[in-house]
Amino acid sequence: MVGTIGIFALPMRKDTECCAYVKRFIEGRVFSVLMISTISLNALCMVLQTNYDIRNYLFLIFEVVEVLFMSVYCFEFCIKLYVDPLGYWKNGYNLLNVVIIIILSVPFYMRKLFGRHYPYLNIGEGIQSLRILKLIPYSRGIRTLITALGQTICTVASVMTLLFLMMFIFAILGFCLFGSTDAGDLNNWGNLAVAFFTLFSLTTVDGWTDLQKDLDERGFTLSRAFTIFFILLGSFVFLSMFVGVMIIHTEDSIKKFEKELEDERHVAVLQEKQNILKKQQEEVSRLMQKGLVEGFKKTLRHSDPMVLEDFCTTLPFIDIYLSTLDNQDNTISKYIEIEDDLGLPKLRGKGKEGEHSRQRKSIERHW
Amino acid sequence: MKVIGSEAVTRADAVRSRLIDTFSLIDHFRGLSQAVPRHNLREFLDPARQRKLMLGDQHQLVRFSIRPGHNRILFAQRQQCRLRVRCNRWAPISLWAGWVLRKRIFINFVNCLIFLNTIFLMVEIELVNTTNVRMLPIMMALEVGSWFILFIFILEIVLFWLYNFFLFWKSAWNLFDFFVTTLSLLPEIVVLVGVTGESVWLQLLRICRVLRSLKLFARFRQIRVIILALVRALKTMTFLLVLLLIFFYIFALTGVYFFESYSRSDIQDLEYQMYFTDVPNSLVTVFILFTLDHWYALLQDAWRVPALSKAFSSLYVILWLLLGSIIFRNIIVAMMVTNFQAIRNELSEEATHSEMQHKASIFKRQIIKSSGHITPQTSYHSASSLTGDMSQSENLVKTSVPKDLSTPQEYRCELNCLPFRPKYSSTFFLSFSHLPISDSPGLVDWETHVHQNLHGLMEMDQDERVVWPRDSLFRYFELLEKLQYNIEERKQLQEFAVKALINLKDN
Repeated sequence: MVGTIGIFALPMRKDTECCAYVKRFIEGRVFSVLMISTISLNALCMVLQTNYDIRNYLFLIFEVVEVLFMSVYCFEFCIKLYVDPLGYWKNGYNLLNVVIIIILSVPFYMRKLFGRHYPYLNIGEGIQSLRILKLIPYSRGIRTLITALGQTICTVASVMTLLFLMMFIFAILGFCLFGSTDAGDLNNWGNLAVAFFTLFSLTTVDGWTDLQKDLDERGFTLSRAFTIFFILLGSFVFLSMFVGVMIIHTEDSIKKFEKELEDERHVAVLQEKQNILKKQQEEVSRLMQKGLVEGFKKTLRHSDPMVLEDFCTTLPFIDIYLSTLDNQDNTISKYIEIEDDLGLPKLRGKGKEGEHSRQRKSIERHW
Repeated sequence: MKVIGSEAVTRADAVRSRLIDTFSLIDHFRGLSQAVPRHNLREFLDPARQRKLMLGDQHQLVRFSIRPGHNRILFAQRQQCRLRVRCNRWAPISLWAGWVLRKRIFINFVNCLIFLNTIFLMVEIELVNTTNVRMLPIMMALEVGSWFILFIFILEIVLFWLYNFFLFWKSAWNLFDFFVTTLSLLPEIVVLVGVTGESVWLQLLRICRVLRSLKLFARFRQIRVIILALVRALKTMTFLLVLLLIFFYIFALTGVYFFESYSRSDIQDLEYQMYFTDVPNSLVTVFILFTLDHWYALLQDAWRVPALSKAFSSLYVILWLLLGSIIFRNIIVAMMVTNFQAIRNELSEEATHSEMQHKASIFKRQIIKSSGHITPQTSYHSASSLTGDMSQSENLVKTSVPKDLSTPQEYRCELNCLPFRPKYSSTFFLSFSHLPISDSPGLVDWETHVHQNLHGLMEMDQDERVVWPRDSLFRYFELLEKLQYNIEERKQLQEFAVKALINLKDN
């Protein structure tokens, strides 16, 4: 068995076959179909439970089904933990599962600890709807979408922080101007929280004319400038900036993501091509022997024309190739000059250089 | 054909594969075939050359080379060659139907009819309730006109079926056409049969006649492009919409529970009390909040109930506004913009293709100019220049064939580049500094420049074919392979040299 998870080293698992079997089961189709159907059924039951009559009528069924769902989720948690005790916690979706199991048990404990008439009981029941988030790991499309968009979270957070700071400044300003005195608009600017709400309402430009009317009735002359200035800044500038920043980041992250997929596929295809080429080479080297090649060469005549369209036999290619080689030759010659200047030991592969230039010359001659 | 150590140089292998492929060495060594294809497919398709070939030895092999082309063979062209059409006992109706469908006059005629249909409908709606006797002939005329238009539409569909029944169902636009036409056919038949008393059928009739105007969408290329772009954008956003639906579900269900005390409250004249009673209502409310409409009024109304916890309800609303309305909507906008840009790039493929060709031809001219640069300076590699080898160069003839082979032309020999070739001294020390800088605004080095333009050069449409003598070609491939090995060795030597330089500098 696993034994104790020591601080220094995890002892080797002795049940590798069982572990492998369970792992195969988890990654198989049966398990995912089971989980998806369970979660969908759970979502449906929760919708039905909101109706008081149905809940009253089918009370027992709902209780039983609830226990069933809870057991399925715990079973999933246990076997996933069994397969990989330490690596389980590194995956974000597994953490989500744990959080949802904790949420599942919240209403039960609330009822136990605080009694039946605790006013916040419906809050506990409300957050049960988060169970449907368990569906996300089983859908590849949504997972890729979240991975692709995950990069934009940083941008979103920074823009939000900036917006919050700006609203903070204006909230304090608005409170001092409009909500501090008794003759002021205490309803909308009385304390900081309400001021924040008012400003948020101005940012989303919903019902702001009513708020402005309230201020006008109280006779504040500066209020119009204040409101209009804030709407321009918050709604027009900030929210549009939000859109712009998101557009750029979405484009970048999606492009990067697709490029990664493309590269993976490319590498796989290239690998296959290499294998095929290697097999071909082996076959050829088996067939070709020196005598055969020489014999074949003797059969070639100069007056036989061969018309080719391949790029590697066209004149532009030869031009480009020889120019590139010349460029490389120049680099070498420059280096050798440096050698001479510095008085370094001569590192010229004389034989190779000579042969190289000889072959180049013969190519040029054959034009 | 040596191998450096035990590693095979991939480029050398590629060259060898090319050699084997061109000369069909494997077949030759296995004794499978002694003949080598001497002619290309184009020589065979060219009528003049084909006649000459057929008059000569008819048992020649032809080499096929596959290149992705930009002209596609239309179904109409293909159909003309089919035996079923050519050897038919009766007249080929399908050919005639295809010809009619492609005729510009017919297409314009049907477009005009669609417009006319809309106009008839507008006039009919105006006149439908008049009791003016003089209007009656006009009403009759409009009715007859509508029937006639419907017949023409049905005829068009039948023509397409005659042309190719199965191809009809494969295109989504045709399906849309078919659907709209049958939908407008149904009420007509019902009215004709005699259920004239029911006014609801008459209304349906008029509605379906309006739908015929939707056929316009399929006809004009610009509208098609826009609709296709829209559909593609929506397709890529399916998972985003699924995620949005999941969030709708979560917030709707949570809203029912969070606002329970508000829905059940006894306080009089609460404006939005019905908004969170059960899941359907809650869904609509969540959508209302998503569109940022009267959210503050709703919240303030909910606060009037003391049993409702202010913190949780405001947290709910603010969270949903931030997440749904601000973040999600902007993500949707961002994805739409990205998709439209991608679609626009694809649609302007033709433009980018021709631009790439233009760049490639400029590059080619550059190469020719730079290679023709005669530098009297000799550098360290004083390899002998090949001024004397002009005789060999006559064997290499560059032929460029015009794109359409329908008009047989003489092969043009471009000998103007030939005089430059033999003066190809082995170093171009100066020529690179004389490279035209005008084409590359930033002075990129040679290799980068080549890499940027190589792809365009390879894809050039200009059909360039080079005539090689056979033994020269074999020798060329052999030398190229050996060159690869030597280049590899030289690269290794260079690395050693650099290391030595660095070591000596350090010491």
